[in-house]
Amino acid sequence: MKEFLLLIRENLDAYGKMTPEEMQQDIEKHMEWVEKLTANGNFKAGNPLDSTGKYIRDSVVTDGPYIEAKEVVSGFYFLLARSLEEAIEIAQGCPTLSAGGMVEVREIIEAE
Amino acid sequence: MAPNSHNNLHQLTAHLFRDNAGKMTAVLCRLFGLNQMEQVEDIVQDTFEAALSKWRFSGIPDNPSGWLMQVAKNKALNALKRERRIQSCSVLEHVQLPDTSFENQFNILLSSEEIKDCQLRLLFSCCHPCLSLKNQITLTLHTLCGFGIPEIANALFTREETVRKALARSKKILRESTNTSYEVADTKLHKPSKAVLTILYLMFNEGYKTTRGKKAVNNDLCFEAIRLAKLLDGDVETEALLSLMFFNLSRFPARISAPHEYLTLDEQDRSQWDRVFIEEGYYYLKKATRYKTITRFHIEAIIASLHCSASTFEETDWKKIAYLYRLLEAIEPSSPLVKLNRIIAESYIPTTRSIEELDELETHPSLKDGFLIQAAKGDVYRRRGYNHEALKAYKRAFDRAISPFDRRFLEKRISTIKCTLYSPQGK
Repeated sequence: MKEFLLLIRENLDAYGKMTPEEMQQDIEKHMEWVEKLTANGNFKAGNPLDSTGKYIRDSVVTDGPYIEAKEVVSGFYFLLARSLEEAIEIAQGCPTLSAGGMVEVREIIEAE
Repeated sequence: MAPNSHNNLHQLTAHLFRDNAGKMTAVLCRLFGLNQMEQVEDIVQDTFEAALSKWRFSGIPDNPSGWLMQVAKNKALNALKRERRIQSCSVLEHVQLPDTSFENQFNILLSSEEIKDCQLRLLFSCCHPCLSLKNQITLTLHTLCGFGIPEIANALFTREETVRKALARSKKILRESTNTSYEVADTKLHKPSKAVLTILYLMFNEGYKTTRGKKAVNNDLCFEAIRLAKLLDGDVETEALLSLMFFNLSRFPARISAPHEYLTLDEQDRSQWDRVFIEEGYYYLKKATRYKTITRFHIEAIIASLHCSASTFEETDWKKIAYLYRLLEAIEPSSPLVKLNRIIAESYIPTTRSIEELDELETHPSLKDGFLIQAAKGDVYRRRGYNHEALKAYKRAFDRAISPFDRRFLEKRISTIKCTLYSPQGK
């Protein structure tokens, strides 16, 4: 099995438009998705990321190059799959997609 | 995140977020005051967003409600620090404490008894006499039931813009009268006011009416009304209302046949009535009748129980039901709807002069433009064999009906009568 990184990009403003019921449904969908991945042996790990961070270039620390960008990396998953094609297929089931988010799939290269 | 942390989906009970939205809003409103409603809403929304980004990955915590309340508390503390407005938060008058810091005040409110008390206070405030009944329901759904604007618009069959404006107006009224609205609300001493029970009754009816075909969405309204009524339990009038709600709820599964079509009592498959809800209905009816108090909700609950206890439509005890409606009419002499229901119940007893009475009621200002009285006339004419008159009345009803469910129902009746009239055997 190869290992893949899924980066989730979302517009956090969309959260503000969701009702409590919609948020609960969104969480339930995500949990069902991960449950399925776990059952199929595709799941390795995942975590949310804080919506704010710092960018460092040379010795200068800033709030980032894209202050105006509303879309942020909101979290990541590590998945196990046989090929990039399979990883893409799995990623296509990510519930964030149906809520207008974006998913980036990158294969992790084993450094020996 | 450990993969196995995802096996706790079952901890998310249905509508957990809505339920907790109401609890958090109630507790925060108690601490900040009703004039800070906007800030309270921001804190609640931020709390849910925190849950959304975290729980998606880490699964549901062991005590989701506790988690949410804790995060809401931290966010409230941060908001206070940020604005340095600690002096503006009200001291709890019913708990004497040496240390009245905000955090202590918050912690005191976290027992389930205190949360309930906060919810009741907020409910009483939402029933502010300066708000129209519809606005009271809108505000209650928004603050105590965690309904978003599109969900309220959907439930009450109105436009989102209308809901948004109504909420803004209502909150302004509460803000401006914030000192008086909490004084009435010593929830442990006072019986729920008539207004509170009335809006729960209307909220339930609104859901009952609009559930004709739209299924889950408006069922919610009925369940929210029940949930809020349960907060008030201990009072016989509320128990009678709960009994009535459960009896009516039990018939839901049998009320709808096809999309846009509902079935009347005589057409429903009674085996589909929900036995558990009927039991609940009897449970609350028994509690409600432990004293001699009789309210309109008692009578309506007993009527509903008589329908539920008849195993076929033909076995319905119309004599008892008609008698109970006469009692109800004596309590509510000015309600044309009660009168109409009484006449309909009596029309199942052959000797009554129901048609003449319907003719008299027809000119009542609140009935004359609606379809209801014409549909009732059509029904009585039909059952008594006057098919030509029935057809005319049903057609008048059809012209006045607005909801697609009502129109579909009347269309069906009209075509059935036409079949009888114009087939060779028809009269």
